[in-house]
Amino acid sequence: MPITPGRGLVAALIAAAPLLAQTVPVKEHTLSNGMRLLMVERHDQPTVAAGWIVRAGSANEKPGMTGIAHLFEHMMFKGTKTLGTKDIKRDLELNDLQDKLRAEIRKEEDGLRRKQTLGEIVDMNDPKLRSERHQKLLTEFTKLVKEQQDLLVKGEFDTVFTKAGASATNAFTNTDVTYYHVTMPSNKLELWTWMESGRLLEPVFREFYAERDVVTEERRMRTDSTPTGKFEEALQAMIWTAHPYHWPVVGWASDVVSITREQANDFFATYYAPNNLTAVLVGDFKAEEAIPMCEKYFGRIPANPKGVPEVITLEPKQLAEKRMNAEAETTPQVQVWYKSVPTGHKDEPALQILSYVLNGNSGRLQKNLVLGQKVATAAGAFPYSRRYAGNLVLYGVAAEAQKPEEVEQALYREIEKIQKEGVPALELRKSKNQAQADSFRKVENNEALATQLAVADASGNLKNFLDLPNLLEAVTAADVQRVATTYLVKENRNVAVYTRKAESGPVDPELAKVPEKFRANAKAALAQFEKETDVAKLKQGLGEMEGQASQVPEPVKPLFEFLIKKLRERIAKLEAK
Amino acid sequence: MLTRITLAALLGATLLPAQTIPDRPEKLTYKTLTFTPPKAKDHFVTLANGMSAYLLEDPTGQPLVTFRVLIKGGTYLDAPGKEGATHLMGEILDSSGTKTLNADQLSEKLETLAARVSSTINTTQGFLQMNLMEKDAQEGLELFRDLLTQPAFQQDRIDLVKKQMRQNIERRNDDTTSIERYQFGFLTLGENYYTNRQETAASLDAITREDLLALHARLLHPKNLILSVSGRFDRKAMIKTLNTTLGAIKPTAQAKLSEKIPTPDHQIKPGIYVCEKDVNQGRVSIALPGLRRSDPDWHAVTVMNFILGGDFTSRLVMKIRTEEGLAYNVQSSFSPGPFFRGDFRAAFQTKVRTVAYGTRLALAELERIRTAPVSDEELAMAKGALVDRFPSNFSSTAAVASMFAQEEYMADAPNYYATYRDKIQAITKADIQRVAQKYLTPEKAAILVVGGKAADLEEGDVKDHPGKLSEVAKLPVVKLPLRDPLTLKPLK
Repeated sequence: MPITPGRGLVAALIAAAPLLAQTVPVKEHTLSNGMRLLMVERHDQPTVAAGWIVRAGSANEKPGMTGIAHLFEHMMFKGTKTLGTKDIKRDLELNDLQDKLRAEIRKEEDGLRRKQTLGEIVDMNDPKLRSERHQKLLTEFTKLVKEQQDLLVKGEFDTVFTKAGASATNAFTNTDVTYYHVTMPSNKLELWTWMESGRLLEPVFREFYAERDVVTEERRMRTDSTPTGKFEEALQAMIWTAHPYHWPVVGWASDVVSITREQANDFFATYYAPNNLTAVLVGDFKAEEAIPMCEKYFGRIPANPKGVPEVITLEPKQLAEKRMNAEAETTPQVQVWYKSVPTGHKDEPALQILSYVLNGNSGRLQKNLVLGQKVATAAGAFPYSRRYAGNLVLYGVAAEAQKPEEVEQALYREIEKIQKEGVPALELRKSKNQAQADSFRKVENNEALATQLAVADASGNLKNFLDLPNLLEAVTAADVQRVATTYLVKENRNVAVYTRKAESGPVDPELAKVPEKFRANAKAALAQFEKETDVAKLKQGLGEMEGQASQVPEPVKPLFEFLIKKLRERIAKLEAK
Repeated sequence: MLTRITLAALLGATLLPAQTIPDRPEKLTYKTLTFTPPKAKDHFVTLANGMSAYLLEDPTGQPLVTFRVLIKGGTYLDAPGKEGATHLMGEILDSSGTKTLNADQLSEKLETLAARVSSTINTTQGFLQMNLMEKDAQEGLELFRDLLTQPAFQQDRIDLVKKQMRQNIERRNDDTTSIERYQFGFLTLGENYYTNRQETAASLDAITREDLLALHARLLHPKNLILSVSGRFDRKAMIKTLNTTLGAIKPTAQAKLSEKIPTPDHQIKPGIYVCEKDVNQGRVSIALPGLRRSDPDWHAVTVMNFILGGDFTSRLVMKIRTEEGLAYNVQSSFSPGPFFRGDFRAAFQTKVRTVAYGTRLALAELERIRTAPVSDEELAMAKGALVDRFPSNFSSTAAVASMFAQEEYMADAPNYYATYRDKIQAITKADIQRVAQKYLTPEKAAILVVGGKAADLEEGDVKDHPGKLSEVAKLPVVKLPLRDPLTLKPLK
């Protein structure tokens, strides 16, 4: 049945009346020790996406030991009293001996840190600055590490999973949670419960100090060595004055290399208690078999009667706009981070619909900033609501010869329009259609669904997560206008303006002949030429420039020659059409 | 509250005594799991015009359907001086308008239907894909046909994508990852191979709408397209609808069939190549000539590489990451071709000071797997993992449908999936050592280091692990200049 030609937009909209996502059929269960269990049975392929989440992330850290939640995640793969060593007694002794030596080494490091603070040295981690005692301690330490390595069953925790055909064995840490996941062949669910309950019951954090170095390399790879990594980190620190979202999940460089095993033990004892955990299974298993199996394995982990400390700090209300002007090796662009609401807040769905209104090929930012005003080559918005607080983020990449500040102003104009005029019914419908279809897409994949269920539950937000399709459908035009007016205000925003670091970028060989101080003018003029389509006007401009060419002062000549050449090319191009 | 938990825990303990939990994972027993992979021929349909189609229904899935067309064409179609044209066409196919709808109307319509459309063309193939609600499939399919057969290539959209591509090429030297990518390409496949003749500022400038129309006409032939449909739909009704839409596509007069993908003739020139950039970490890649997936050695190479650096439990990871704490990411891989020789790459990233030491350790692992047989335990683990993870290749109808289309296009290794597990099981320790000796030949390696200053890289870790970079292998050290991002010519 071909579509009738001329079928209008309204008809299309009626046809596109929403099909609400059915609530995902989640079975919930709580084990005797307080650990929660979420299950979704899907029998179409012989695997189970399995994971467990702990309600602790970098927001649960303290200054001086930032990055511990993430380092800890790495340590959870180091084995247990049964997995990972041939001699557990000596293994544990060696851990203690290493810790004692490290305490001595730390004294040396404290001295070097002080020297770095005073500017007497540049980098306290430069091996050439070590004292004789420091070097001697390290040599002894290396001996202990070697002895321990000889007793190790290398990477046994991972090899047991791998040999069994488990895939996607990994974990992630964010500001709020840490999630450990794997995809098991469906006949090996019991192995998963054996392994995961084992490392929760009696983990051994061996190879601790080498793993600190691994995390430091991870930091170098993701943050230090990327064009904008350090700026993104500084931006978050600027946004959050008091809340622990202030520091990076990977931790400050100075802290990661100083975390002790004792601190890691404390962190484990405090947060990795069953009453702070949720396990999730999605895939080919039977809940009536999984529940007793989880009770048998996970149920043996003692509850922590003390409970888990809450994150206390509330971010104070932002008083004034904050700005960061970053010069980086990147295309000029702007990000605007408004403080909005945490996940689970009643305004979260309206902020999501607002983002749909702004995004997409037919969305307002593409239509107006990219295609209409041509001030940007890309622009978008995304809601980023976390457990304790949230942002709505707008961004735009400046078009050639446009300043990111102009993109910024164009973004604000779009927001003001919504604040003043609201969103028409058809546009709202389109946004909701997209939101509904996306809520089906989000739950298609087993691993993705398991992750979302775990994160939602850990944020105390499972009910809202499951009900989200209905909550999104219930959003009104007035809601969208209201959240835009409430949250997207000047005092609430944090702006990062990126401009290209001088001399870091490519220079057009012709433009290279123009003295550096005139290049911005040259680029601006080029943009003018590109916009102009009236050949007569361009020719008039060319005539004027050619007339003046002989009179311009020597230093400006290359600029003039460049512009005349480009102007001629532009005219030739237009005439060719 | 506390009492309740304690009581429950006690009850739990009584009901399920702890001794039933075995002390070692090997003591657990499992039901047998048999997995029969789906067969392409069971899902294959030829449409009225001869186009191949693979239909994979998922009756219990979400109410969504995906149409995906594989386009047999890649950037080798770019004419000299027009590098980037095919890539640009891939970027724009999903959004440049059709004969009946201009680009604005098109995006309005697609987004009102909540359809997700995307397109791309890479070095060897292209895709146009649409995912939307099952109930809108009919309307979506007609739009999909129009996008595929009558793209408008509206000039303002061409101009926009050109600007975006221009910004992307301007960024070629911003990030060491990007520098490493292009330098690795030049080192392995040579200056003149088409994958290295990428868009420049001048070639982008030269591309016209007519070029795109000509490229499109050249590709539009039912035999140049392979369709896959996945998600929720009724098979019979779908075939009928497909035949009136995509099955009615006629070849253009200009269409050319199955043009040959050029093969490279470049030999890797052994050396230690250093490309400076002011960052605190060096990216190291060891490159060697590899083989195609159709090569009889492929399965032995797969198992060998799993043990060497293909998995988190592998030797390179254990040594460089776990034991020495030198890198977060360590891995090795053989790319499968399939249209031209695949290459071996072992890679890691470490602070500038330990680049020399890490490289020495990596080369030592290559040497070790060449000179001594792997252990029984390693071989058992690699086979167990490769065979038991096999079902994850078939994790969704969308994955299976596009895999079938892909296999038909590559046509290099018929029965690859049907025989995969048996062939892996048959690999012996001797096979592994033989292929290690054949392919891991350090004297033929190009070792690429991107990041840090040459002098610091050369000096190495004087205090803790002395040894200079130039001494890690008997290979000449060559300083590689960055390339001008706009022209891709080496900078002085």
